[in-house]
Amino acid sequence: MAFTLNINGTDMEVEAAPETPLLWALRDHLGLTGTKFGCGIAQCGACTVHVDGVAMRSCQFPVEAAVGSQITTVEGLDQDGQHVLQKVWTEMNVPQCGYCQSGMLMAVASLLNDIPEPTDADIDLYVDNICRCGTYPRVRAAIHKAAELMKA
Amino acid sequence: MTERFKLSRRGFITAMLGAGGALVMGLSRPAVAATVNAEPWDSFGEATSFTPWLRMDNDGKVTVYVTHPDIGNGPLTQACAYVREELACRWEDIRAEYAAPERNEALGGVYSEVGGALAYFSGRSTSEPRRTAYMTAAAGARERLKSAAGEAWGVASAEITVSEGMLSHSSGRSAPFTEFLSVAAAVTLAEEPKPKTREEWTFLTKVDPAKIQIPEIVTGKAIYGMDIRVPGMVYAALRQSPVMGGTLVSYDFEAIRHMPGVRAVVEVKPTEPGEPDKMKAVFPLGPSAVPAAVAVIADHYWQARTALDALPVVWDDGPGAKWANTEMMNDAAMGAARKAGDNIELSVGDVEAEFKKGGKILEAEYLTPYCDQVQMEPLNCTVKVDKDSVEVWTPSQHTQQVFVVTVQETGVAPEKVKVHQTFVGGGFGRRVYGDDSRVAVAVAKGYPGVPVHVIWSREESVRQGRYRPLMGAHLKARLGEDGLPSALLARVAGGPGFFTRGLADTALPLVLPNVQIESSVVRDFHIKTGPLRGPGFNSNCFFLESFLDDMARAAGEDPLDYRIRIYEKWEDEGWVKILKVLKEKSGWGSPLPKGQARGVAIGNWGMGGKPHHGTTLGSVVHAEVSNSGKLKVHRIDVAFDTGRVMNKDAVQVQLEGGAIFGLNLALNEKLNVEHGRIVEGNYDEYPVIRMGDTPEIHVHFEALTDHERYDEIGEPPVGPVGPALANAIFEITGKRLRTQPFREHDLSWGGGV
Repeated sequence: MAFTLNINGTDMEVEAAPETPLLWALRDHLGLTGTKFGCGIAQCGACTVHVDGVAMRSCQFPVEAAVGSQITTVEGLDQDGQHVLQKVWTEMNVPQCGYCQSGMLMAVASLLNDIPEPTDADIDLYVDNICRCGTYPRVRAAIHKAAELMKA
Repeated sequence: MTERFKLSRRGFITAMLGAGGALVMGLSRPAVAATVNAEPWDSFGEATSFTPWLRMDNDGKVTVYVTHPDIGNGPLTQACAYVREELACRWEDIRAEYAAPERNEALGGVYSEVGGALAYFSGRSTSEPRRTAYMTAAAGARERLKSAAGEAWGVASAEITVSEGMLSHSSGRSAPFTEFLSVAAAVTLAEEPKPKTREEWTFLTKVDPAKIQIPEIVTGKAIYGMDIRVPGMVYAALRQSPVMGGTLVSYDFEAIRHMPGVRAVVEVKPTEPGEPDKMKAVFPLGPSAVPAAVAVIADHYWQARTALDALPVVWDDGPGAKWANTEMMNDAAMGAARKAGDNIELSVGDVEAEFKKGGKILEAEYLTPYCDQVQMEPLNCTVKVDKDSVEVWTPSQHTQQVFVVTVQETGVAPEKVKVHQTFVGGGFGRRVYGDDSRVAVAVAKGYPGVPVHVIWSREESVRQGRYRPLMGAHLKARLGEDGLPSALLARVAGGPGFFTRGLADTALPLVLPNVQIESSVVRDFHIKTGPLRGPGFNSNCFFLESFLDDMARAAGEDPLDYRIRIYEKWEDEGWVKILKVLKEKSGWGSPLPKGQARGVAIGNWGMGGKPHHGTTLGSVVHAEVSNSGKLKVHRIDVAFDTGRVMNKDAVQVQLEGGAIFGLNLALNEKLNVEHGRIVEGNYDEYPVIRMGDTPEIHVHFEALTDHERYDEIGEPPVGPVGPALANAIFEITGKRLRTQPFREHDLSWGGGV
């Protein structure tokens, strides 16, 4: 079946079975490989995207349900890396292998959208993505730093 | 082939391809703007080069060739830093690229000869041979540029200074490097310059650049193995015999032939690899043996995956199915560890005579389970097999191993094999054997002429691992009159390929008067094992350092002071220095509320029985256990001795991540076996610590001894953090945890509730 999805502000056509996870429509049909496959069961968060501004795990989100929504992927943050989160992530040497970080960034963007000055408890609640490299201390510090910069 | 390299030495700089694709990122942190090719594989084509390590282009870009895949530990950045130190180019003009293994082969092993057999492995980027190779190449380039400029300006080249990509002379003349590239290429130096000494460094150890690939990562542009898109590519979903060593009886393609996008089912037959004819494999090839497998090929991955789930497959489980459950295997390992060992790892004095003296004798048994690396990027590999050529795209930890495996598996001539190294979504040892690549090559052989992207589901990735070995240990010690151990007997056992590293070659047995260390292999364990962050060390350190805590308590001594007394006898002062730093910095000995305590442990990764080798690391873990047994880890302190550090921030983040990895390994990780199959398949069954469970981590640099080595940092925390936690838990609950993972234990104390 053919679907029209609005990804990062652009309408795109996808030809896929309706139950195909949005993750694979993005990666495999549309070539947007920034969104990562990690577990397929909405556990790890590597596939996190925004659906109408809300962080969603795209591996469990059928493509047909995404029709009519605004989808934002990591590619939609800023192509040139000028989004405050991208800059802080780079300056603070946050990623290690980096595979989980697209999803981490999308979870954090959603958090800061909802709660501009999050507490550690807010961070724990919103950002429960898995990072096997153990970048959590850096991620937490970077979130606080980004919140500070966004406030200024 | 070596001849080709020699010839190419005549000219070092090429006027060739523009360095299109290089990115310059303006960032406020100093010196983070070097970058990496977004498609990080060797683009070295028609170029000639002064050195295989370095290329300069007419647009001022400097390309640094790196052999070992960056798995998040920073070798790309470190290689660029060496070049920056000597060449004095602009950091933002440097980019890294992987040195292709086929180029290594064509140049007679020019890359793999630096750093020995493990040259292409993700091992230490700070080793002296690597540093020398990069710095010599860059210094040679710099001196040739100076010579060319000196000639043009009519001044002595020694009077010319270099800075930020510019050549300058006191007469006021200056020019960018690019002005003299072609002239410099023809310069012959009377003598190749020596690399700067440490005292002369202005960049190394002074600037801690962040990883150069981060701008690629945070924009989603970094191409991991999973992200490879090659024209005409199809996808394969893979299922291997659920019991390792099993065989395929039948499958029914007709049942899925009609499904959307489905093209074929490829059957892979199990084969044992022999030795390759010409090339030397770096890691053993046995663990890369192809298992019985089927793969569904389809236009898109989700189609392949859905069809695979619907495909009727019948397996013959083979002999491994006799292991009905985990306990049977545990019992077999412990049974072997209770008997005299097959191999004597170390024998000093006479432990039995010492035990006969009686007195305080301790005896205990320990066990660690099978664990998977669960790296975030599931296994995958893309392969195109043609009649007389092969191309592979892989997120490997060892590109050269993949090259050898591919040549062997296809029989194609090495010069017709091309292996592209991609970004790697976590390694931790899982991606060194090349078993994943070999299966993908085998699948692609069954669907030739088309690039096939083979993807393991998370469950397939976890259940078809090369695991941390299941190991049992039987330990016995006698305390002498001074309270210190006068004899230590350790017998360990595990399946084929288990690791004794960190048992006989570490400081504890080397300072005791009577030591016997033995090992046995349980030959009919069918589960395949491999390196997992700190192989051997991550089990053996748990055994020794938990047992040592028991000894301290039996002697009535403070566990940290007890360790100081023991390790004072070892000639590497780093051990005691670490313990003293931890004592001071962690709050050791200061009062804590009831239900809280600190535990300590120390170990060394890589010392190989020698002082001032490897990395020694100690950890204090501050934990809390409620009466009902709920555990919370508040804080981890880490002090270490790598000798020296090259990039302090890189070390800091690796140690933070390693401490978390070690904590999770001890606390959460275990794979169970049922009728020979691995039970757990995904993160819901195999928990990994998340943000909210992460304790405060304090990394202390004060214990560095300044010994002249820059040793490894990835593995060291994974040994001591687990036993340090176990020791804290004992202090609180009186319960000695002798098996991992700790979450399986009832930690309630003081009557529960």
